[in-house]
Amino acid sequence: MSCRLVRRHLGAFVDGELDPASQIEFERHLDACPGCQENLAFERSLRQLTRESIGPVQAPEHLWGRTLHRLDEIDATRAERTSIEARPMRWRQTWPIAAAAAAVLIVGGVTRLPASTDYQGAGMLQDVVNLHSQALPSDVQAEAPQDVVRYFQGKTPFPVKPARFAEPDMVFVGARYIKVGAHPAAALYYMHGGRRVTLLVFQSPEIMRNAHRIHVGGRELYYHDVGGSVVTIRQQGGVNYAFFGDLDRPVLFEIAANALVAD
Amino acid sequence: MPKKSKKVEAQRQLFETEARPHLDMLYSMALRLTRAPVDAEDLVQDTLVRAYRFYDRFEAGTNFKAWLLKIQMNTFVNRYRRAAREKQVFDGPMATPVGEGVMSRASMRGLTDPVGNAERRLIAQEISRAFDELSDDARAMVMLADVEELSYKEIAEIVGCPIGTVMSRLHRARQQLQGSLQKHAVQLGIIEADDKVEDPIPLEAFRARKEARS
Repeated sequence: MSCRLVRRHLGAFVDGELDPASQIEFERHLDACPGCQENLAFERSLRQLTRESIGPVQAPEHLWGRTLHRLDEIDATRAERTSIEARPMRWRQTWPIAAAAAAVLIVGGVTRLPASTDYQGAGMLQDVVNLHSQALPSDVQAEAPQDVVRYFQGKTPFPVKPARFAEPDMVFVGARYIKVGAHPAAALYYMHGGRRVTLLVFQSPEIMRNAHRIHVGGRELYYHDVGGSVVTIRQQGGVNYAFFGDLDRPVLFEIAANALVAD
Repeated sequence: MPKKSKKVEAQRQLFETEARPHLDMLYSMALRLTRAPVDAEDLVQDTLVRAYRFYDRFEAGTNFKAWLLKIQMNTFVNRYRRAAREKQVFDGPMATPVGEGVMSRASMRGLTDPVGNAERRLIAQEISRAFDELSDDARAMVMLADVEELSYKEIAEIVGCPIGTVMSRLHRARQQLQGSLQKHAVQLGIIEADDKVEDPIPLEAFRARKEARS
């Protein structure tokens, strides 16, 4: 057995992964070869040093709690699904649990709205409105706005910040990453006096097509009537901000016009 | 909110009991893979959420740790590694050839017989730095084999490749680690630069080429 062969497989030898016959042959060679012995000693101590330098670290204390909270959400969805009433999950019922979380929560999956080529205008608007009624759970909670900014970094080609409102009634609850067609978007969830408002931040010139234009408080707004609801859109810095939700039209216009969407 | 069913609750209890002891291990692994604490936390959470979702597919009595690691590796690859490009550089024809010994005897001694605690700490730091420079694959291999001390069979299952491939990937990963460590150690003056560790071409090949030319 050559030194070359022994040294080539020294790692597997130390790992105890050679077949028994080779293991014995290796041992025999090593007994008689000081050079290979030195290599073996090095292999072993380097292994030890590696373990020490990149070895196990403790997980941060909040990580387990944060994970359990996500599991709670899964359990809640499962319980919903198996409950006799079998109705779709209502956001109003789930958000207090979500809001109770102290930490940022991030979900792996991404909700995708259809991405076909003829997907535009009415179809997209309907999906946007559905997005609100589906009331998907948040990926990021409201407690740490910085985390919201960080969460969307790299996900969306534009920076996403929770919009700020003059109205004290508007309370930010959480946010979620979604796709509208091929466009990455951020859905920001707010509560306004017990009613939900969704703010969708995305880049899609298509959504401006055939939109009505109005001026509210000196601000230019666009809107679409979709079924029974209205989608109000602000455009700023090449980014679209679509507001929609369970509010009456004038209130929604007012909120959309006065929102500080980017600074 | 409707009440959790008994079945859901029992399942949840079982999962928590089984998964909790592996949290530090998953986090260590995630931290070494992503190299950023924020990403590591996300990765671990995604892993556990996914594991919980598919918990009914886990075969009781089989290796839960390996199962979790497999999910984590998949999640990591899907999320953080956009293309398989890196793997090709590591495994494919572009991979740098590795000999059977990268270091001279003096270098080996210099690295593993440190003079004092300070030097030992320094070397540990350099190993960590050298490790961080490795490719995703190489880091995963070294973690699974050298830190978690899993068998080649388990590693094969986790990364989804044959055992023989584990062996060669691991060998290459360790060689890369040594090479990078040596480079750092020389820069820091812990060891002397090796003039020439190994002939770039085997002697026979060199002679054969010479003969062919003349």
